[in-house]
Amino acid sequence: MLRQKMKSGRTLVAALVLLAPAISLAQVDTSEWACESCPFDQGYRAEIDAGATNVSDDAARFGNYTGYDEKGTYADLNGQGRYANEGYRVDWYVEDLGLDSRVVEIETGKQGVFGFNVGYRDLPYRRFDTTSTVFNPTSGDTLTLPGNWVPASTTGRMTQLSSSLQQRMIGTDRQIVDIGANWQPDDAFRLFADFRRQTRDGVDITSAGSYTQAAFLPRWIDYETDQIDAGVQYRSDSMSVTLAYYGSFFTNQNPSLTWETPFLTAPGGTSLRTAREPDNDFSQVSLSGKYHLAAGNTVIAFLAASGRGEQNADFLPYTINPDVVTSALPRGSLDAKVDTFNYAFTVTSRPLDKLRVKFAYRYDERDNKTPISDWERVIVDAINSRETEQNVPYSYDRLHTIVSGEYTLSRKWRLAAGYERKEMNRDYQEVAEQITDLGWGQVRWQPAAWLDIRAKGGASQRGIDRYNDTIAVSLGQNPLMRKYNLAYRYREFGEVVAAVSPLELPVSFSVSALFADDDYKESLVGLNGAEEFRATVDVSWAVSESASVYLVFGQDRIDAHQTGSEQFGFWDWSAFHEDDFDHTGVGMTWRPSDSRFDMSFDYNRGTGKTRIALDSLSGGPSTLPTLESTLDSAHVEASYEFSDRLHGTFHLRYERFDLKDWALVSETTLPTVLTLGAQPYDYDVYAMGIGIRYRFGDGTISLVE
Amino acid sequence: MFMKMSARKTAVLAMALVAIALPAVTCAQTADDEAELPDYSRKGADTCFQCHDDQVVLAIFRTKHAMPQDPDSPFGHGQLQCEACHGPAGDHAGRVRRGNERPAIPAFGSMSTTSVAGQNAYCTACHAPDTGFAWHGSSHDDDTISCADCHSMHVERDPVLAISTQADVCFDCHQQQRTQAMKPYAHPVRQGKMACTSCHSPHGDTPERLLAGNSVNSTCYDCHAELRGPYLWEHAPATEDCSNCHNPHGSTQPGMLTMRAPMLCQSCHSQVGHPSLPQDARGLADNMPSELLLGQSCLNCHDQVHGSNHPSGSKLMR
Repeated sequence: MLRQKMKSGRTLVAALVLLAPAISLAQVDTSEWACESCPFDQGYRAEIDAGATNVSDDAARFGNYTGYDEKGTYADLNGQGRYANEGYRVDWYVEDLGLDSRVVEIETGKQGVFGFNVGYRDLPYRRFDTTSTVFNPTSGDTLTLPGNWVPASTTGRMTQLSSSLQQRMIGTDRQIVDIGANWQPDDAFRLFADFRRQTRDGVDITSAGSYTQAAFLPRWIDYETDQIDAGVQYRSDSMSVTLAYYGSFFTNQNPSLTWETPFLTAPGGTSLRTAREPDNDFSQVSLSGKYHLAAGNTVIAFLAASGRGEQNADFLPYTINPDVVTSALPRGSLDAKVDTFNYAFTVTSRPLDKLRVKFAYRYDERDNKTPISDWERVIVDAINSRETEQNVPYSYDRLHTIVSGEYTLSRKWRLAAGYERKEMNRDYQEVAEQITDLGWGQVRWQPAAWLDIRAKGGASQRGIDRYNDTIAVSLGQNPLMRKYNLAYRYREFGEVVAAVSPLELPVSFSVSALFADDDYKESLVGLNGAEEFRATVDVSWAVSESASVYLVFGQDRIDAHQTGSEQFGFWDWSAFHEDDFDHTGVGMTWRPSDSRFDMSFDYNRGTGKTRIALDSLSGGPSTLPTLESTLDSAHVEASYEFSDRLHGTFHLRYERFDLKDWALVSETTLPTVLTLGAQPYDYDVYAMGIGIRYRFGDGTISLVE
Repeated sequence: MFMKMSARKTAVLAMALVAIALPAVTCAQTADDEAELPDYSRKGADTCFQCHDDQVVLAIFRTKHAMPQDPDSPFGHGQLQCEACHGPAGDHAGRVRRGNERPAIPAFGSMSTTSVAGQNAYCTACHAPDTGFAWHGSSHDDDTISCADCHSMHVERDPVLAISTQADVCFDCHQQQRTQAMKPYAHPVRQGKMACTSCHSPHGDTPERLLAGNSVNSTCYDCHAELRGPYLWEHAPATEDCSNCHNPHGSTQPGMLTMRAPMLCQSCHSQVGHPSLPQDARGLADNMPSELLLGQSCLNCHDQVHGSNHPSGSKLMR
């Protein structure tokens, strides 16, 4: 079956490549086009920003992705420059060099012949600075308790808890090194290669159970991923074809985590162990291209890709607990193999002046060839379940077909419509075959150059061959449960976008609104329905040649309704979710041409509210406290021109964030779960900096006399 | 099976029809377009700069488009210079009778009347191989987006090509995604440390959502390779589509989850015992604190929701 699909895809690709009409280019006499006044780029120039920024307080979230996580003074260094000579060029760019979010990029080469680039990027992820733990790392994969630790059955009875807690910031740093090159030996061929190494290290949170309890554990991250993109491209006036290789090679220096449980536990179970992400490899070869028939009015595009993912990391034993007797593992590693196939084909054309049509077909497959074996299970390193389970290597394929067309009724009106069919075939799951039919229509009205209104609407029905209760029951599932990604679903959706840009006025205005209504009519237990509504308003006003202001507003509301059954039968509890988020932004820029001073200002406010109301047979109506978040963020930048080359700069970044989240609890709130005690975010921080900007080389561009 | 065969037959039939019917029609169309174009100017860019000599226009000389040593650059030897992109300027630069308006430059001018498709044709005449394999028919193409709607040619560093400034360009149209990016749990787009093109291919690659990878998951694995597996014990919805549980554009829930746990988990899990119990206000910290509601909820014990490679990890607890 699979081979047949691949064969048909390859045949199709081969047929398309053979079709190649020539396209004639306009012939123009440019012999007198000397371009004598053209100020071509030559020599060296650069711009450097250097200064210092003071951060008013410690706040992990303020420093998340920015690097400003601790109170104090940071060096600012940003800049860019270029050296150009006779077609050879070196460009460099640095950003936030004094922070944990630094970027360095260098690009060089001779345009149209070869290019070479090197880049380095840091990305700090700062999650919590209010967390504390009793665990000490003895290595990257082992956590121990203090020597005087006294295990207890609940967190409240841990006598050494408060004296043993040590603050532990939760966050990681990602470093990305990127080296790339390209070479064009002639007009037709281009070769490219890119190597990227991503490393990620730091501390994240995991949690795992012991006998009847669980503990939050700080876990040391030490990931490395090497990625390669390489290929060759052939291009002509009528077609381009790219043969490419992609490889991803992930290694985890800490593939397991062993810890001493702080709770009283089963015999032999003082040390517990969990597996972490195993090393994995993925390689893919792809052939893609497009082909223009008759001067581009018809374009045929195709893609064929074949990949293989492998994972063969050594298994841990069933348990670290020496008191639990187990059989030998079926094998020492998984020997997992997943083959992927993707092929796509798209034809777009304008057969008539007013008609544009599209046909697209795509096939994606994940074929999991991992061998199946019988496995025992030791429950939380304490008890052998004495039950044998088989691993389930999930496979699936997806087919997606699109037919659409657009007809221009007049200069003002355009109509479009489309039909899509998505098929999903799975194995080992409750639903083997799922077919989604989607139809949509769109009207676009442009009565004048300053007004553009677009309205789109449609409906889709996701049908299933059957919901296999036998599989559900074998997993202990309520047979009335319908998993929302597998269940029957009917969806209606609509969107309206209007843009007003009067040519004679310096104001532009746009609004958009979208709704989507999902109905899971056949789900007696599970997600029953969801509605989403989004709206935006954008206004911008060029007050003068030197000043402009903008105002944006956005709202996103998601409501959902689900049911459950604590009696393991018909639904006896329900939950309603209301998830609201509003965003308001205002800003201005002021850059007068006759002044040495310029500035910009942006302010954003985001407020989120999640309300969850439940009604159950056992507890009656119940409303959980509203989950709330409020962000106020302001950013000011200003500069003063001391001379053509020297500017003074100022920037202020202010952020206030307040979170109300009942799930974040102290170390001792839960008797059977020892948490890290993360506190809801509540900070009010500013970062203010001054500096200078100095320019080397020519600033203004002048025509050659 | 019947449905599958039907879809394939439809696909093949439609392809055949389109391939057979189009070439003749499109050739005629091309001839009409060419007939409408004016002549080129006599001296190329030197003519243009007699009027257009401001810093915005001249900034083209700080870009790759004005590289005379590159024979394929608009300013390469024998190329059409300004008119390579703006179209033949013979009428625009020629003499204008008193009382008449100067004819507009054909493309990319404030008064130009060339259609979006026509303007894009100027760009794709050189850049067709660079626009991904499926620009034509992509949602951006369907919405008649002009190359110049996103790209700025007369600046040294095109904002849409720089990670720190790209999102602002995309958000001009994708305003709903701007709202989502402001949510408390989101990728670092708002901070200018991640670009929309980290996940999306705006020139069109997949028929759905313009993803850069071949699927949602393969796109995510580009940065989250640790989750690729395959694992001994897979979590089927995670293997199939990360967006079953996560909203990558931003969420009000930690981890960019689409819904608060445990209710998200209970949308699929109703096994006898604790997975089926309603977690209401009785389980809050000031009442009878429930390990099924507080902390990481279900993940307090079942932390390995992306899959486990531990031989005893079938319940995603190890």
